[in-house]
Amino acid sequence: MRIILDKIFTITAWFCAIMMIVILGIYLLPMFSKGVTAVVFQGTVEFRELQLVKHGRGDEKAVQQELEKSEKLRNELRAIISEFRKGMNREAIGERIRDIYKDYKDELKNKGIEGDQYRTLYSKAKEIRNAFCDLLESNDNNFVLSELDKILAQRNNLNFESKLTQEMFRLAENYKHNVEKIDLARQSENETALVEIEGILNVLFGPELKSDSPAPLLAKDQFGMTRWDMVERQLNLILYEHKWVTNEENPDGPLVMESIPRKDIFAGTVMADFFVRLENEAEDIFKPRLTIYWNYFTDDNESSYFIGGVGPEIYGTIILTVMSMVFVIPFGIITAAWLVECARENIFTSIIRMSINSLAGVPSIVFGMFGMAFFVLWAQPQFEIDPEACILAGSLTLALLTLPVMIRSSEEAIRSVPQTYKEASLGLGAGRTRTFILVTLPAALPGILTGIILSLSRVAGETAPVLLTAAVAVGEVPDSILDPTRTLATSSYYMAIGDRIAAMVPHKQFGMVVTLITMVLLLNAAAIILRARIFKKLKGH
Amino acid sequence: MQGNTILSANKFSFYYGAKAGVNEITMDIYQKGVTAIIGPSGCGKSTFLRSINRINDLIPNTSTEGEIIYKGHNIYDKTTNLIELRQQIGMVFQRPNPFPKSIFDNIAYGPRLKGVKNRSELQMIVEESLKKSALWDEVKDNLKKSALALSGGQQQRLCIARALATKPEVLLMDEPCSALDPIATSKIEDLIEELKTSYTIIIVTHSMQQAARVSDHTAFFCLGNLIEYNNTDLIFTNPENKQTEDYITGRFG
Repeated sequence: MRIILDKIFTITAWFCAIMMIVILGIYLLPMFSKGVTAVVFQGTVEFRELQLVKHGRGDEKAVQQELEKSEKLRNELRAIISEFRKGMNREAIGERIRDIYKDYKDELKNKGIEGDQYRTLYSKAKEIRNAFCDLLESNDNNFVLSELDKILAQRNNLNFESKLTQEMFRLAENYKHNVEKIDLARQSENETALVEIEGILNVLFGPELKSDSPAPLLAKDQFGMTRWDMVERQLNLILYEHKWVTNEENPDGPLVMESIPRKDIFAGTVMADFFVRLENEAEDIFKPRLTIYWNYFTDDNESSYFIGGVGPEIYGTIILTVMSMVFVIPFGIITAAWLVECARENIFTSIIRMSINSLAGVPSIVFGMFGMAFFVLWAQPQFEIDPEACILAGSLTLALLTLPVMIRSSEEAIRSVPQTYKEASLGLGAGRTRTFILVTLPAALPGILTGIILSLSRVAGETAPVLLTAAVAVGEVPDSILDPTRTLATSSYYMAIGDRIAAMVPHKQFGMVVTLITMVLLLNAAAIILRARIFKKLKGH
Repeated sequence: MQGNTILSANKFSFYYGAKAGVNEITMDIYQKGVTAIIGPSGCGKSTFLRSINRINDLIPNTSTEGEIIYKGHNIYDKTTNLIELRQQIGMVFQRPNPFPKSIFDNIAYGPRLKGVKNRSELQMIVEESLKKSALWDEVKDNLKKSALALSGGQQQRLCIARALATKPEVLLMDEPCSALDPIATSKIEDLIEELKTSYTIIIVTHSMQQAARVSDHTAFFCLGNLIEYNNTDLIFTNPENKQTEDYITGRFG
């Protein structure tokens, strides 16, 4: 029986340990691998342009050269669209035809052609105009083609030598050329697709540089896609038309996504060439290159984290953590020392101990509410400070939050210092205060450091109290402790509940969270190393 | 028994709550020389020793009666300067208890409390104390080493050096060898032999051989009472009291 119990115990323990590792693996590894892409990624020429323009980083000449080449290719691609547009813009063609007809009449008059000749010519022209305008309205390929042939047949029969009439025929010829290749019934769909493609192209390439239109307001719209993975996503949207269609195998089931290559839809037209070229030349246009964006940790973000880094967040987190440590360490140690060295065991001290233990389990949002009510709304006006969230209130709230942890671990540490040290010190004539400062405290330091580590980790990642007492979603980097700040934890929260821009840059979200985790781990590692060194020094090995 | 009295207890009692740890002890301690206190466990010998520099004050719910006169002054008087008292009556504990600091800092601890800051002066005190406790040759090359890295016997000699650094007149030793091996013990005993020419040493010990070897006077305590106090030779060869004789001959205790 005991052997079975023993086995069960061992198996349970192993199971729990393995589960922990698996959960960590499942949870943390993908997070880290995604978060790392905020710093290490395939940066495009747009990224290098952005760094040059915004921060003056990088080799100006090289970037300019790359940009010129890229711009050339982009303009060629854009030209294809506008060519296709021109050929298919039926309203514009109709407009032009009417203008030509009017101008042609004037021309005839100016040339002094009168009488019957004038009438025949202009009624012929009117016929063509009307026929042309009619066929432009039609979506029937056969009808349009036959009508166009009729119009083009008159090209040589008549005395239409004027430049204007020749242009009219050229338009007809162009239109015929286009209509031969596409299904007019789909024309309205193509128009919509074209608008969509142009929109995506603006996102992909950045705005088209035109002298008359002002630069876009948001920084994110001023540049194209800075990362190759984002380029690929946008390319996919251009190259394929995604449609929800009924599942053929299971018509009653959920709809399935179908991706149709757009080059097939536009097959035969000039646009087909556009898609092929875009697919083949994307790498030449964007020149993706492995980039390590160290400045992610110092740069401020723009356009809701679309570009830039988490500098102010890191700064805010550190300031807030350090400030709360400044409050919590002395108070925690003094309280613990009092509890161990001075306080007698009576009801009063046991009430204090009980309160400390209960406070350690109070949810952080409660501390946040208290901090907001007490520090921000009540205390700040007493000192003629606007009752707004600020670093001071936040760090005081966080200090309160971790005080119980700090007191308890310090208490344990101080209590575990051997009595013999104290005796030795007292035996040499030191008073209690000096004994505490010179002997007990140094000997308790490793244990106290453990408390500091626990508090640090908790404070650095705390969200709810900071949201209520110290944080803003967007804002300047704080100048003083009376300004609010952004922190990694709160900004992660704001990003998670935030707008669709955040959803477009998931790597930034992961990057922020991973930065936070890494920071806490680094802090812990530093404290653990420090503790080990102190321990080693105390032990003298 | 003869010599100049440096310390004398006068009907001194020490109570743990209501229970007497030592009961109406009256004895004189003579200057320069070793006084050993022997007796079975729980007889109050350590309590008495620890009362002499008032280190027992740390224990809550204790009280004293009677007096201990040191250089004509009752140390249980309210006006006693505890720091001065403890610097003049140094103490070495049962287990070596060096601070988790360097050897140098351990020994300089006492003088620094007195306000000695001068580095060269401290250096001198440290060297002198270490030489007196016969540790200098072993540690002079690495005074910066942690005291905890020393062996048990070395640590105990370091503790003696630390006590000597405050230039005391009396040295209280509470079973200083009980945690040490025989070789370390003999070194400490040699050291006591040397130190007794310049210090008054009071040593509590469980080992009667040790008491016989190192002490000049021996006091036998039993159940909180002082049973017999005399020259060591007399106690061990010709005890006056039956209890003492039984204890020494190993019939009880």
